[in-house]
Amino acid sequence: MQTDRHLQSAGRAPGRSINYRRRAEIFRWLHRAVILAGSLAVMLVVLSPVAWLVSSSFQNEAEIVSVPPHWIPDQPTLKNFKAIFAATGDETVTYETRNKQDPASGDYIPSTAGNLLPAMANSFIVATLVVILNLLVGIPAAYAMAKIRFYGRNGSIYFILTTRVIPDIALVVPFFLVIKNLGLLDHILSLVITYLAITVPFTVFILIQYFEGLPDELDKAARVDGCSRFQSLTRVFLPLAMPSLVAVILFAFLTSWNEFLLALMFTQTAASQTLPIVLASFTSDFTISFSFINAAGLLAIVPPVIVAIVFERYIVSGLTAGAVKG
Amino acid sequence: MRLRRHFNYEERTALLFIAPVMTVLGVVAVFPIAYSFYLSFFRIKLTRPNRTPFVWFDNYLHLFKDEMFWTAVLRTTTFTVISVAAITLLALFVALLLNQDFRGRRLVSTVLLIPWAIPYVADALMWKWIYDSGYGALNGLLYQLDFIDKYMIWLGDQDKTLALIANAFVWKEVPLATILLLVSLKSIPSDLYQAARVDGAPLLQRFFHVTLPSMRTGFMLVIIYETMIAIRHFDLFFILTEGGPGTASHVLSWEIYVETFRNLSFGSGAAMSYLLALITFALAYFIIRTLGRSV
Repeated sequence: MQTDRHLQSAGRAPGRSINYRRRAEIFRWLHRAVILAGSLAVMLVVLSPVAWLVSSSFQNEAEIVSVPPHWIPDQPTLKNFKAIFAATGDETVTYETRNKQDPASGDYIPSTAGNLLPAMANSFIVATLVVILNLLVGIPAAYAMAKIRFYGRNGSIYFILTTRVIPDIALVVPFFLVIKNLGLLDHILSLVITYLAITVPFTVFILIQYFEGLPDELDKAARVDGCSRFQSLTRVFLPLAMPSLVAVILFAFLTSWNEFLLALMFTQTAASQTLPIVLASFTSDFTISFSFINAAGLLAIVPPVIVAIVFERYIVSGLTAGAVKG
Repeated sequence: MRLRRHFNYEERTALLFIAPVMTVLGVVAVFPIAYSFYLSFFRIKLTRPNRTPFVWFDNYLHLFKDEMFWTAVLRTTTFTVISVAAITLLALFVALLLNQDFRGRRLVSTVLLIPWAIPYVADALMWKWIYDSGYGALNGLLYQLDFIDKYMIWLGDQDKTLALIANAFVWKEVPLATILLLVSLKSIPSDLYQAARVDGAPLLQRFFHVTLPSMRTGFMLVIIYETMIAIRHFDLFFILTEGGPGTASHVLSWEIYVETFRNLSFGSGAAMSYLLALITFALAYFIIRTLGRSV
């Protein structure tokens, strides 16, 4: 900066250096204004749809169908959340009570409202199992590919790379037939197994990147001290790899939590349906209140949003590492 | 015993360590792909489970003669081109912004992660409600700002539907693209800028002659990666339009879904998904090639 300004002003007549300084000041001011405007625009575009979802979920029926919309609810209500959390009682609407109302008015909380919490539990169980399996198979493999020279090492890395890009929709047809034959349809195990296909390659990849970044000398020192490869991995590398493990856990969890296509194919009843499936079933029913749908949507985005905000640093570094090679 | 003779300790450990991953991926990735290739040579209708004749390339030939398939290809291409172009451009702006040093930068980058984190289904229901023709926020906002004098139909309008779905897609994909572009922005050596400044290159010239060319790999990565995601995207189409109105959003992934799970023709569904997988592999090959060259 210093030399550069010096060079530039040296080339000009003395009288014009003041002019230059003012120009720099205007430029700096403009720079700040552009940054401010840009930041505000980004925040507005990202947050306003979400804010509208939140606002809608607290509106009562009269407000949600008002034209033009009430951006902020006049009389915020918790009735949707009550219906979800206390699925039994007055708030549950059965076929009979529904018939008493005019379905066209849309003032309708579906009888399946009570499925949301079990679906959340299903999503949570599936995601947790997927995370555990990812760590179990991913950590040793990534360590071996990053730190041990063996015949076929490059080949196995390329293999992981290739499996990473298999589109989920290409897996649906064969998976469906296999799972049907195994009798696993409508069982959360079918989701745990198939989600491995879309999470494990990414997991291994991020971990390889991270292990490769750790010095080989650590390994040598551990081996000289009499550690086996396994001990070297668990006692030396794993504690150091914590940040990447956090990233891996988050990605596997969020991917499973958010997954829709495979769950749509393999689940049929509330016994195995995950949150996205129950949510999607609400959106296709025109008689369900919009504010209820938004409330359900709000519940679905709260956990991932909290995770994203709390673990921002790990997520960004993980995505960056995952990006470098594919 | 034989294992011990052929491989030394290192190699045995390595094999032991990678065996679980190879088994898992063999079962959940390699096998299904091979199996769907195999299936694509049979006529499999779940309505007639006992008759599954081997039909050679009939499923593929049938596809190429099917008008719906070509419509789906066209819709997928349109959706992908609109989305990827918008994602790349917007991500470039946001990445340039986040590459500056200013107070509140952390806040902006944290907020930016929100769309990335939420499920596509939630993204879909959020935009479906915004686009709603009766009570939606888009109508409300445009009406209050006097851009329209009566509420309009959005998703139900053939000419708008793909662009509106693309909007919901772009909203969710820009954060990741931004992070990827930011990596390549940060890796531009500052000497380049110094040199350009000493040479008296003005801001815009520095941008076009230093910044953009240095980000080539980043752009490549974003474009190919987002293309791979966009051509197979399913969730938004399922919830927002179900391929409609008419065939306005009838993309390939939707066509695969309809063919497989509504018409119950698993053979031709498998053929189509296999084609989609091949396209994705071709794109991925380019990723590996280009990155392999630059690293």
